[in-house]
Amino acid sequence: MDGSAERPWRSPRACDDYWSEFRHCKSLRSHFHHYYTHGTSPSCQQWKEDYKNCREWEKSRSAEAKEALQRSERSRVEEQKKFTPVWELRRDPPKDWHCH
Amino acid sequence: MDQTKQEEDYGYDLFPERTKSKYAKGSIAESLFTFNNKCQVMLHFAMETSPYAKLLLSAMKSSGCQVFKDRHFSCEDCDGTVSGGFDAASSQIVLCQNNIHQQSHMTRVVTHELIHAFDHCRANVDWFNNYRHLACSEIRAANLSGDCTFNNELARFNFGMKQHHQECVRGRALRSILAVRNISRKEAEKIVDDVFDTCFNDHAPFGRIPHTKKDAGFAYRDYQNRDRYYANL
Repeated sequence: MDGSAERPWRSPRACDDYWSEFRHCKSLRSHFHHYYTHGTSPSCQQWKEDYKNCREWEKSRSAEAKEALQRSERSRVEEQKKFTPVWELRRDPPKDWHCH
Repeated sequence: MDQTKQEEDYGYDLFPERTKSKYAKGSIAESLFTFNNKCQVMLHFAMETSPYAKLLLSAMKSSGCQVFKDRHFSCEDCDGTVSGGFDAASSQIVLCQNNIHQQSHMTRVVTHELIHAFDHCRANVDWFNNYRHLACSEIRAANLSGDCTFNNELARFNFGMKQHHQECVRGRALRSILAVRNISRKEAEKIVDDVFDTCFNDHAPFGRIPHTKKDAGFAYRDYQNRDRYYANL
């Protein structure tokens, strides 16, 4: 997290990235693909919120905006972890990857 | 005889050039009588321009498995209609030069096989003995490589809309398993069902299901940005 206080905090993504994700999410194609995959429409509002908070942080260094952004991103990371892997992750790459 | 049985058990009979090539590598005969050159060119193009491939190559490099075109890819003639495969024994991706004729197809096959290679690199996948592992990697590859886009399914005359993507992923994973292993369809279906939910939701290294090149581009951007992302979480 904010452990090493050498670098000042920055938003996890550039503010423009949040906006482009929002526009991308709202597009017709994205709706189509989401329906095709999940049977529902995507929810895009969070990207817009994040963009707002990102700009807010840039403008006023508001602690509220920073925390809201962090919460949102952490929950995104959690979403991606919602499964139990069937295999064990390696600690090192396979030994024979490079050799012939 | 034991060798042949093993070959059939693990699908190696689909890739006859794994053991013996018809033409010597680099020979003029190979150049004239096979699609080897075309395959090499399309492979190079895919690796250089596709965000799907670039992301996977990046992720593999960070995991300690840097991919070298000459070492880890092999363009060969294959049997039947198979487009490619990942040979864990030699850490090589086989591309079926006689069955891949369009760039978009090549890009998709490269992505699909790189996902297997990526799984091989980051996890202890028991390709030969654990069918759940095999099924999981096939589900991920069908899900994340663009194999199951609406357009690709349409081209196969598989019509479906709501949540069809998932049906497609199931179906293709099943097909891939049955092609390379000697088990019954029922057994294979049960295994795919068992691991489907967990493997369908494993989107590494994309972080999302990339339906289009634009999605993959965003995912690649996120991947390149990951240091900043995790440092500021």
